[in-house]
Amino acid sequence: MGMNNPVPLESVDDILRPSADANPLIDRGMVTTSLDALLNWARTGSMWPMTFGLACCAVEMMQAGASRYDLDRFGVIFRPSPRQSDVMIVAGTLTNKMAPAFRKVYDQMPNPKWVISMGSCANGGGYYHYAYSVTRGCDRVIPVDVYVPGCPPTAEALIYGILQLQAKIRRETTIAR
Amino acid sequence: MSDKAKAIAELFNGRFGDRVSLGASIKGIQTIEVDVDAWLEVCRALRDEEEFCYEQLTDLCGVDYLSYGQSEWDTTDASTEGFGRGVEGLGPGRFDWADRPEAEDVKQRFGVVVHLLSFKHNRRLRVRCYAPDEGMPIVPSLVEIWSSANWYEREAFDLFGVVFEGHPDLRRILTDYGFTGHPFRKDFPLIGNVAVRYDSQKKRVVYEPVEIEPRVGVPRVLRNDSRYNTDEFDQAADAAAEEVAAQNTVAGEQEN
Repeated sequence: MGMNNPVPLESVDDILRPSADANPLIDRGMVTTSLDALLNWARTGSMWPMTFGLACCAVEMMQAGASRYDLDRFGVIFRPSPRQSDVMIVAGTLTNKMAPAFRKVYDQMPNPKWVISMGSCANGGGYYHYAYSVTRGCDRVIPVDVYVPGCPPTAEALIYGILQLQAKIRRETTIAR
Repeated sequence: MSDKAKAIAELFNGRFGDRVSLGASIKGIQTIEVDVDAWLEVCRALRDEEEFCYEQLTDLCGVDYLSYGQSEWDTTDASTEGFGRGVEGLGPGRFDWADRPEAEDVKQRFGVVVHLLSFKHNRRLRVRCYAPDEGMPIVPSLVEIWSSANWYEREAFDLFGVVFEGHPDLRRILTDYGFTGHPFRKDFPLIGNVAVRYDSQKKRVVYEPVEIEPRVGVPRVLRNDSRYNTDEFDQAADAAAEEVAAQNTVAGEQEN
């Protein structure tokens, strides 16, 4: 997937293109769009994160999913299975012992897949950077798309990270090269 | 010695004699030290006999007394200059594997501490013993007496390397598969020996020697900021200001 962006950034969110007044099909109740925009609309509209709560960050992740912030509004539904999820939220301290299992879960996710690293420990070891048992960042094991800083990040920060990932996905092109 | 303490001393010394020595009583929990040869016998008596009746073992842990009583950095000398130079000192964890301190001559380096609870008497007890050999610390296992000791002893073995003789399944419990060393020992480097990374050629997570330097976080102390403006400090500042003012006056007169 290329990251070149064929359309202006401000119209990236809008899947109804070209613009309505120039398009006679709109009057007949039809819309036209590009396949990339449609794909990205579908992908960003239902990002199902693989639940990977490792430590206290997971509590903030639950908070983001619970009624007050309600990630369901963004189409984000937590999946306890890697086979049906396309985003992985690494919430917490990744230890050396967990790293092979963690990589295996990531490998089991179908493409396309994205990773949000949540909190200082997942970003770079954080508090445990100089410890004997903790991996110094989950990006030593899997590629990461969005890093959410904080210890732990608030639920709002995680939602902002998810929105950032949505913006990143919208800029991807699958068909147009 | 209060009556209660005297009664406790009589209770333990009367029953066990010199195999048990009394330690401190902290928050109502009496500490006793047991000779390692009498470890099983004393513990069995503590469980079974009417006047003790400690039915439950609530905790068992290992202790490493290497560098016990040494402070992490020198606070008294370094405090006038800030803590920065304290970093240079050798303390626990501040070394890599090659430079780890040798501790051959530490007497009674490894201890095992158990906490017992008696429902019948509503009483708690702390029992400590020291492993006789520092190179290969061996202590008899308590699993036969209190089965809750099973995983605690595995933990103490994993983290401190205390071998519990007679344990049915003495494996590591917390650390990584294939881990070497006992990380809670004071001569184990804090940064460890290995780090993990995903190798895209081999398609698996690989272990590599740790590449970072050991580091100890040191509190940052600000000196001579506004909180330290004592009278003395203010007087010195006033004197300096007056001096400057006087010089300016002299300069002004010369110009005139």
